[in-house]
Amino acid sequence: MSKIENLELLVVGGGPAGLSAALAAANYGIKVSLAEEREFLGGQLIKQTHRFFGSEKEYAGTRGIDILRKLIDEVNKNKNIEVLLSSRVLGIYEDNVVTILNDHKMKKYYPQSIIFATGASEKFLAFENNDLPGIFGAGAVQTLMNVYGVMPATNVLMIGSGNIGLIVSYQLLQAGVKVAAIVEAAPKIGGYSVHASKLRRLGVPILTSHTIKKAIGKEKVEGAVICELDNDWNEVKDTEQLIKCDAICLSVGLTPLVDLLKQRKVKTTYVSELGGYVPLRDENMETSIKNLFVAGDVSGIEEATAAMIEGQIAGLSVAKRIGKNNKKEIEKRIEEGKNELELLRSGPVGKKIRKGLSKLGLNHGKNYNENFSEEALDISHLMKTGVPSEENLKNKLPSEEKVFDKGPIAISECFQRFPCDPCVKSCPFNAISENGNINNIPYVDFEKCTGCGICVSKCPGLAMFVVHKNFSETTSVVIMPYEFLPRPHKGEIVKVFDREGKYLCDGKVIRILDGKFQDKTAAVSIEIPKRYYLQARNFKVEE
Amino acid sequence: MDENKVIICRCEDVTLKEIRNAIREGFTTVEEIKRVTRSGMGPCQGKTCGLLIAKEISQMTGKPMEEIELQNIRPPYGGITFEEVTKGTITENDK
Repeated sequence: MSKIENLELLVVGGGPAGLSAALAAANYGIKVSLAEEREFLGGQLIKQTHRFFGSEKEYAGTRGIDILRKLIDEVNKNKNIEVLLSSRVLGIYEDNVVTILNDHKMKKYYPQSIIFATGASEKFLAFENNDLPGIFGAGAVQTLMNVYGVMPATNVLMIGSGNIGLIVSYQLLQAGVKVAAIVEAAPKIGGYSVHASKLRRLGVPILTSHTIKKAIGKEKVEGAVICELDNDWNEVKDTEQLIKCDAICLSVGLTPLVDLLKQRKVKTTYVSELGGYVPLRDENMETSIKNLFVAGDVSGIEEATAAMIEGQIAGLSVAKRIGKNNKKEIEKRIEEGKNELELLRSGPVGKKIRKGLSKLGLNHGKNYNENFSEEALDISHLMKTGVPSEENLKNKLPSEEKVFDKGPIAISECFQRFPCDPCVKSCPFNAISENGNINNIPYVDFEKCTGCGICVSKCPGLAMFVVHKNFSETTSVVIMPYEFLPRPHKGEIVKVFDREGKYLCDGKVIRILDGKFQDKTAAVSIEIPKRYYLQARNFKVEE
Repeated sequence: MDENKVIICRCEDVTLKEIRNAIREGFTTVEEIKRVTRSGMGPCQGKTCGLLIAKEISQMTGKPMEEIELQNIRPPYGGITFEEVTKGTITENDK
């Protein structure tokens, strides 16, 4: 007879959702086995070198990879968690017996409960020659660069302007790869405006209402033909243009990885807002099959923060079901998790998720404060181009010019409502406020602001600047966030650019804050001719 | 667009033309198309092509996506050798 090992809880997938689920259950005494296909934990988090948005409680302002280090550390310390690396779940059968390939052996397990945190796979795109070498998924590009330190190409055309497309484009630039353009079929940018603005400042064009028609090249990608789309997504005649590049990176969305759930005949349904076919589930993350839970992207595509909270809810739900103690406390913590998710999804960006969840019959929407579901400002121009309108800028500047006379002040160039608060939390003078709701746009109280520049390094969107208009008779100083190598040195002359990446003037580096506190987002003070104090928002170091 | 140059299933090299022909012939589920074209039978097991084929069916037949099912998925998930199967499931006593 073959041996079957009994388990209390099997968590499938060692990404943010799976790690959080394992910890939540193990902290209440549940014996957890965590199966991860790869030889290391982390899922997609391991590639995320940028700071996360969200609330401070869920690690906002911390880089994805640092969040991961904390989670892994906790998992390794927890005696109730057994981590199975290089362990691919092969099958799940009607009697809930699970087979796992571990150490080149197919082993059988019988878990009392299972949490599937299998994540997502990338969507593919149909266009001519889409099988040419040099066509990558954004995840592959990120894996090559950030996990293995391999440069994927020298000049990349990015297809898709969701957060992944924008973030990977920025990381490509950091790695020294040129980004020829970002092509977006929709009439507006899909990701957060702050990510788009960063790229525009670096001179990357974002072409909304454009699509790729074909890849060009003999043996490998040598270019791509793109064209414009009208409002009905039809090609506009005579708008074809050839873009030279040696790689095309597809970032056209993710879709839940439900294969294992389908093996077990969990009910799934198509919900476009959640990325594709998703499992039906309740608010406690339990699927149509009892004791079988889901968490993270497999239950619908969202951000890592939501995945971690969903993981906690799933883990706690298992602890409540099969654990012996602390039921009341666990219940309270599940409620807290649900409230956090609600807050996270309550802004305009969460609208789509809310719509998708309602299609699954989750009345998740009933407590949302509708005041926060619309944008506060008209950001249509910003979302089309990545560059804020004059109106937008005016809204965040002091109402009177003389305010600039008092000395350096922080200028926030954050115009979109989404849940994020590191600027508010970082200010030692309480000079930045979101008016009590994390989804609000932050505003600087120029009376309280001393222009210290702490927020410049803390804003995950690189949207905080300090402007000292009257630095001298003829010059101003702007403190800008900087995440590139090489770092400038004091006294160096650098090229200064505006919000569209257009060259403005030369500037002189007068101070660099680049210590542990800045955590790799240096705050660099650049002295520029006075007339550019409202335009100068980026600089480049000549190599 | 040259449908012959658009690949839908990368693992099995199935083109958009072949998918559309299959749908025209009356194969209007992802599972049927898998069986007649081999799309989704390669190493990735339909992760790349499944959604694209479902959308193609939806567009050509007018059926909403909500009414289209993905292909069946059966164990094992991914490739496995016979040796790996036997090593794990047969104990010393069985020999």
